[in-house]
Amino acid sequence: MKIAMIGWEYPPFKVGGLGTHCYGLTHGLADKNVHIDFYMPKLRQKVKSDNKNINIIEVGETEVYPYDRPDDKELGGKFFDAVYRYNDLLVQRVKGKYDLIHCHDWLTMKAAVALKEKMGIPLVLTIHSTEYDRSGWIYPNQWFVDIEREGMQKADRIIAVSEFTKRVIVEKYGIHPDKITVVHNAVYPIGEGEKRNLILFLGRLTIQKGPEFFLKAAKKVLEFEDARFVIAGAGDLLPRLIEQAVHMGISNKVIFTGKLTEEEVQHIYKISSIYVMPSVSEPFGITALEAISAGTPTIVSKSAGVSEVLKNCFKVDFWDTDEMANKIIALLRYDSLRDAMRQSSKREIQLFTWDRVAERTLDVYRGLA
Amino acid sequence: MPSICFYFEVHQPFRLNHFSVFNIGNTRDFHSTYFNQHLNQKIFEKVAKKCYLPTNNLFLDLIRKYDGKFRISYSLTGTFVEYCEKYLPELLDSFKELFKTGAVDLIEETYFHSLSGLYDDLDEFEDQVKMHRQMIKRIFNYKPKVFRNTEAIYDNRIAQKIADLGYKGIITEGAEKILGWRSPNFVYKPVNANLKVLLRNYKLSDDVGFRFSARNWPGFPLTADKYANWMSNSFGDVINLFMDYETFGEHQWVETGIFEFLKHLPGEVLKHDNLDFATVSEAVERYNAVGDIDSPWAISWADEDRNVSTWLGNDMQIACFNELKDIGRKLKRKGDSDLLYIWRLLQTSDHLYYISTKGFEDGNVHAYFSPYDIPYDGFINYMNILQDLKEKAESR
Repeated sequence: MKIAMIGWEYPPFKVGGLGTHCYGLTHGLADKNVHIDFYMPKLRQKVKSDNKNINIIEVGETEVYPYDRPDDKELGGKFFDAVYRYNDLLVQRVKGKYDLIHCHDWLTMKAAVALKEKMGIPLVLTIHSTEYDRSGWIYPNQWFVDIEREGMQKADRIIAVSEFTKRVIVEKYGIHPDKITVVHNAVYPIGEGEKRNLILFLGRLTIQKGPEFFLKAAKKVLEFEDARFVIAGAGDLLPRLIEQAVHMGISNKVIFTGKLTEEEVQHIYKISSIYVMPSVSEPFGITALEAISAGTPTIVSKSAGVSEVLKNCFKVDFWDTDEMANKIIALLRYDSLRDAMRQSSKREIQLFTWDRVAERTLDVYRGLA
Repeated sequence: MPSICFYFEVHQPFRLNHFSVFNIGNTRDFHSTYFNQHLNQKIFEKVAKKCYLPTNNLFLDLIRKYDGKFRISYSLTGTFVEYCEKYLPELLDSFKELFKTGAVDLIEETYFHSLSGLYDDLDEFEDQVKMHRQMIKRIFNYKPKVFRNTEAIYDNRIAQKIADLGYKGIITEGAEKILGWRSPNFVYKPVNANLKVLLRNYKLSDDVGFRFSARNWPGFPLTADKYANWMSNSFGDVINLFMDYETFGEHQWVETGIFEFLKHLPGEVLKHDNLDFATVSEAVERYNAVGDIDSPWAISWADEDRNVSTWLGNDMQIACFNELKDIGRKLKRKGDSDLLYIWRLLQTSDHLYYISTKGFEDGNVHAYFSPYDIPYDGFINYMNILQDLKEKAESR
């Protein structure tokens, strides 16, 4: 079987869960003897394939990133143009004989649909997040929603990363549930390091990820227990968060790291004693699995897809910072709780393999080819 | 001829309120802040409607119909009786009526359904047994002759204590680790005490308690005549069928046909010349001990392991258990009876049961009975309350 896969990012250069997913999925599939041509934008540094069944094809340069959001009208125009340009480029560049096209998220959906029609082969679409998630359900941008809806309608099969995301696709985009298969994400285990007294937030600093709730919980924890709170990642909210920390009088206990490299991310997981993912809307949340694999007990938002499948973690409402603090304090205070959760969650995530993701994805392919 | 000894455990715990770290040190009325009265009342009334009331009525009818030949025994925990007195006195009346038939026996246990039998010394255990004794005396004007510890937790030390307290018999699990090749269908005696031991036939008990509605079980569907036949073909003096009372209508819903099964059981059993029914006191009186039971380590009837790992199987449970014991020592020095009562309500074994992390098959059973989504939530909540109580024990 030969697949044209259209993606955006690929390790070691990645911004989010999409890149991690594409890497794990393509390797899982390659192990099952599926041949993949992976089409992605040309980056400053060349991305190389480390597997004979995976061929990475750089399409061309673009200044757009899948997590970008146009802020004002002028930029919006340029942004949209850049998206169209890259999609046109893709349609020209994707050539060869494939059994099907597999596309991830909104950015390349237009090209994927055009290619499906041009080549007359099935299209599989994986939805890692929707515009509703990225906007934190506040003023979703219709332009993105329309692209997503068209792609979902034209796709032969949709893979959603959680039941939560499947519901959004059905309810907000009007897609028939029978067309959607849920395949939960997986993780390459990171391994434990020596723990410091750090409580970690890691993610883009956007409304979607809920970093301000993390700060509020930090303030409450610090009234009872001493610890340092790390906010790792970059994003629009950074200045506001720094201001908020100063205003709360906890800036000496909060560390803003900015954007971390892949290596730094692994390191911070290893040395953190608690990971908190307070996302307002999180289709899956691979970071929770990564943190756990590094031996870090984890608190996730109830509005994260991962909370559907992970038993050995705390689940809180993202706005309930009292409860978040209650859990953080207990984890800091009681070794027995921390150890029990660390051990059983590490055992549990052994079930979350990319091999399983590839197997389920292959089932979807087989249903079409 | 085997006598069938039917015995039911009737218990409801006082489930806890959500209690966060921010509540510690800020409580005034412990009872209403620690315990979730709304949830507790709701669950109690639901179970009463689905199980307690209909099953009591059915048993009363059956005892009358078979003229006292159908005989059963109950153990009512102190917390259960408090529920009855507070929310549903007619349920207690119905137990009194059952007792008045003469075909019903009552069993002693710790008032609070606690793990006090596992404490470093047995003073608290003895206090709680005596509290239960007083309660049964007050309500039924009766003095039980047979004792059963919380979830049938049993070891030599407990057996000795129970013999010292004047009981004739004790109930525990017919576990292989104490029986070896021997059958549970006989009466035994503890290796170190003058007492008779009744051992639960877990296979036949669980056929009703766990497997009754399991479609993938070869015995499905279990009918009264089939079950009576199995027992008639059993070897021994006594067949001890011990189960949670909630089996009827709550664990096994009315739709499974569990009440129809019960309704026909006495008739089917009495068709066999070699079977009859006996209460636990009668079984202990009627049959001689055929061998010794030696249990240096605690066994129980819980889970596949049949030990105390259900309550003390992980470090979180042990941390809470140690905290609980420590608070007790402080409170006893202080002698505050209100706080002592609250501490005892917190000793109910269910609170530790909710923190069990035992996996998969056992874990599923735990999840069904737990008010918490995950055991870690149970730990935080219980531990926070213990911390609040500890502050009170240390101050005031």
